[in-house]
Amino acid sequence: MTAEDDAGRLAAELTTLLAACARRDREAFARLYQSTSAKLFGVALRILRREDWAEEVLQECYVRIWTHAPEYRPALAAPMTWMSSIVRNRCLDWLRRPRVEVADDDGSIAEGTEADDPGPLAHLERAKESAALSRCLQTLEGKQRQAIALAFFDGLSHSELARHLREPLGTVKTWVRRGLLRLKDCLALQQ
Amino acid sequence: MRYSNKPELQERLAAEYALGTLRGAARARFRRWMRGDAALARAVAEWEARLAPMAEAVEPVRPPRRVWDEIQARLGPAAAPPPRRLSLWRALALLATGAAAALVLMTVVVPPPPMAHGEYVAVLSDPKTQRPVLLISAARKEKTLRVKSLDPSIQPRDASLEIWALPKDGKPRSLGLVPEAAQGAVQLAALADQTLSDVPALAVSVEPRGGSPTGAPTGPVLYTGPCVKDW
Repeated sequence: MTAEDDAGRLAAELTTLLAACARRDREAFARLYQSTSAKLFGVALRILRREDWAEEVLQECYVRIWTHAPEYRPALAAPMTWMSSIVRNRCLDWLRRPRVEVADDDGSIAEGTEADDPGPLAHLERAKESAALSRCLQTLEGKQRQAIALAFFDGLSHSELARHLREPLGTVKTWVRRGLLRLKDCLALQQ
Repeated sequence: MRYSNKPELQERLAAEYALGTLRGAARARFRRWMRGDAALARAVAEWEARLAPMAEAVEPVRPPRRVWDEIQARLGPAAAPPPRRLSLWRALALLATGAAAALVLMTVVVPPPPMAHGEYVAVLSDPKTQRPVLLISAARKEKTLRVKSLDPSIQPRDASLEIWALPKDGKPRSLGLVPEAAQGAVQLAALADQTLSDVPALAVSVEPRGGSPTGAPTGPVLYTGPCVKDW
């Protein structure tokens, strides 16, 4: 059993569960929650950095997943991609509320993301389906990779990135833009 | 701005939307445009798929049990699991969809109360979870409403819960505030027989501290239940 088989089986199972949710099957929804909530809570917690906010967002998102399950199209997105996009979007909207900023009182965001520290990126190599992305991220310059990782994992905006990395806003924007372009080209070659 | 005429800009914004660096008003604007532009939506979906494996790399954290409970509550009663132990009052609350049903149950399940005069009994439940939260009773010839909270967590921190009689005809009448203690009494202006004889149901709403300033419910009605005559 390879990691790829595992991932494929999980995706198939989640797709089946989402289809059952679309038919208003509450038991399938409970199983969907059991299989995915730890992952999605991790995503929300990492971006929001406050458990009460992450709990609230997770609740809203699962209600949303249940409500919008009939609109899920397996051909357009893998089930986990679809669900994690819902969670990430809600987190970013949440941070948009007035006076909400990503808390980093203890400096752990900055600490955990030195340019040579892979952070969660190290986990990427474990899963086969993400090996391509991992390889392509490795081809980026350290600063580009770091900026993209901070934006994705920690939900930092351009200006927050600039502050954390102590670089001018324009420089950081350029890193992100070039990094993303390079990522796209690299992933296209991997296929 | 027309995104469709600027493929490079479209691609860049789609990428930044998926990455999360497109923020604030720009993000909201982009989302609206995306809904009306299939090509833009596809570009975003492609970027989400490219970046999604990164979300897989985040360390999983098991959310506390209350998250699931709350999700179920928000989805409504179908989510309520079958109760493990059907207590008397819970059975009442589940079955008492009408006063008649409750009355039958009262006479079948509850041993006749020792007092000869009988009393009014209401079990108020949360329509979302169908859980009974308040037990309210009053002896026919007394001026006291006995209120027992079955769920201490319902008491709001900076507000009051107000009990309303919902008469067959006419507007809700305030009976008083839910006492903060788990078990308490509310003084009625008249005998229970005069106050509740034409009242098939009670309700509880959230009000400013001290009760509704207008004499009518102003906040959301959280709990309701039939009020039955037990004699």
